[in-house]
Amino acid sequence: MNCDECKGLISQFLDNELEETQAASIRTHLAMCGDCAIVCEDFASILDICTGESADELVPAHSKAMWCRINNIIENEIKAEQTVAPPPQKRFWQLSFGQLATALGCIAIVSSLATFVAIRSYFVPQTDDFTTRSAATQTTFEKVLSKVGLMETPQQARDRRHKEQQAAIEYWNARVQTRRIQWDRATREAFDRNLQVIDESVSEYTTILNQDPEDELSGEMLDTVLSDKMNLLRDFSDL
Amino acid sequence: MIFGSKTPSSKTTMLLCVVFFFALFADEVAAQKKFARTYPAGQNVRLSLTNRTGTVTVEGWNRQEISISASMEAPAATIVPQSLSGTIFVNVLKDNQGKDVGNVNFLIRVPYNAMVDIETRIGNLIVSNVRSGLVRAHISSEGDITLTNILAKNVSAENGIGDIFFDGEIQESGNYRFSSMKGNINLRIPFTSSFRFVATAPSTRSISLGAFANSETNYLGDGRRVIGKTGDGSATLTVTNQRGTIGFLRR
Repeated sequence: MNCDECKGLISQFLDNELEETQAASIRTHLAMCGDCAIVCEDFASILDICTGESADELVPAHSKAMWCRINNIIENEIKAEQTVAPPPQKRFWQLSFGQLATALGCIAIVSSLATFVAIRSYFVPQTDDFTTRSAATQTTFEKVLSKVGLMETPQQARDRRHKEQQAAIEYWNARVQTRRIQWDRATREAFDRNLQVIDESVSEYTTILNQDPEDELSGEMLDTVLSDKMNLLRDFSDL
Repeated sequence: MIFGSKTPSSKTTMLLCVVFFFALFADEVAAQKKFARTYPAGQNVRLSLTNRTGTVTVEGWNRQEISISASMEAPAATIVPQSLSGTIFVNVLKDNQGKDVGNVNFLIRVPYNAMVDIETRIGNLIVSNVRSGLVRAHISSEGDITLTNILAKNVSAENGIGDIFFDGEIQESGNYRFSSMKGNINLRIPFTSSFRFVATAPSTRSISLGAFANSETNYLGDGRRVIGKTGDGSATLTVTNQRGTIGFLRR
């Protein structure tokens, strides 16, 4: 028996799976060949280690459950990665550098023009008080500010002014009532006639504005007659 | 007998009536209190008058002095004009401290170039022959305003119930404002006048431009307001009549 034949049969020799004649030949060769004897010893050592430990020590308890848990953990990690960072979708458009530069240039020009128009519109000379102005004479900038609630609309300004006028009228009317007793009959009648004419106008414009709040002319006239009423009361409160 | 007894009684009654009539007349004469005073006027004199009730008439004349004459219904009424810094102040309300002094009728003569600022609570205001920088006439309630032969750069006439009549010239870059609650406003001005105008008569929509209607006239708010321009439009004319009519007449 040569060395190759011996090495090929060593494993079976150690497992006692060879016939007695072959086993005797191997024993004879190992006695004479030092190399094959070393290989045989190595195999024998490995075999001793494996056979020396119990199966319980090599296979962990509940290995099936453990492998299930590991599998679950791996699957969850994969799902989490998919949720946090979805794979980038492919864009339906693509711009070259030149196209991108042109687009940015257009945006800059449009925004500059919008700013210029807004500033020019905002600084248009205004001769009228805002309370007497109409929506038609509002600048674009003022309309935008009114829309977003940063500035009151002409209607809101008008309502506010009317409330102030009514408050002043009540004040002067109270003073007139205290003085009225001292007037002669002609003065009382003249005062009442004028007040009646003013109140007719106030009623007329109020009715029109209830039907059409956008009627700026009636709003302006209502403002005027309320001022007239206030002036009449103030003038007669001196008498 | 019966008649004989009546005759002396009738005579007595007649006599008493005559005596009472003369007594009443004498009382009436005594009640009409008069006031008259003259003040020297400078180049830029101004008249500022505030009356309670009565008619105020202001006339321009060719003298550098202001003549004030007034007739007062109530004998207790007082008038104390003051001359301060070129302005003659007459304030019946202040001078009588709110007392009812009845009608006080003024006739005031001022230099042509005097500025006139008059107002009253009730009564008519009449101004004529004034050629200055300002004519203002304001009636708090009832009364007519009549402005004739006026050549002023700033004119303002306001009343409650009553008519307003303006007969004068429109000065270049002048400002003219006429406002009434109820009455007729008529403006008589030269056809060659240059002004921008806003005329508003919301209730009646009766705005008659006459010869002053042109291609630059616009009707707004269903005819409640008319705006326009004549000539180069250097002056500004604002007319508002809440419940009356507005008329432009060619002078």
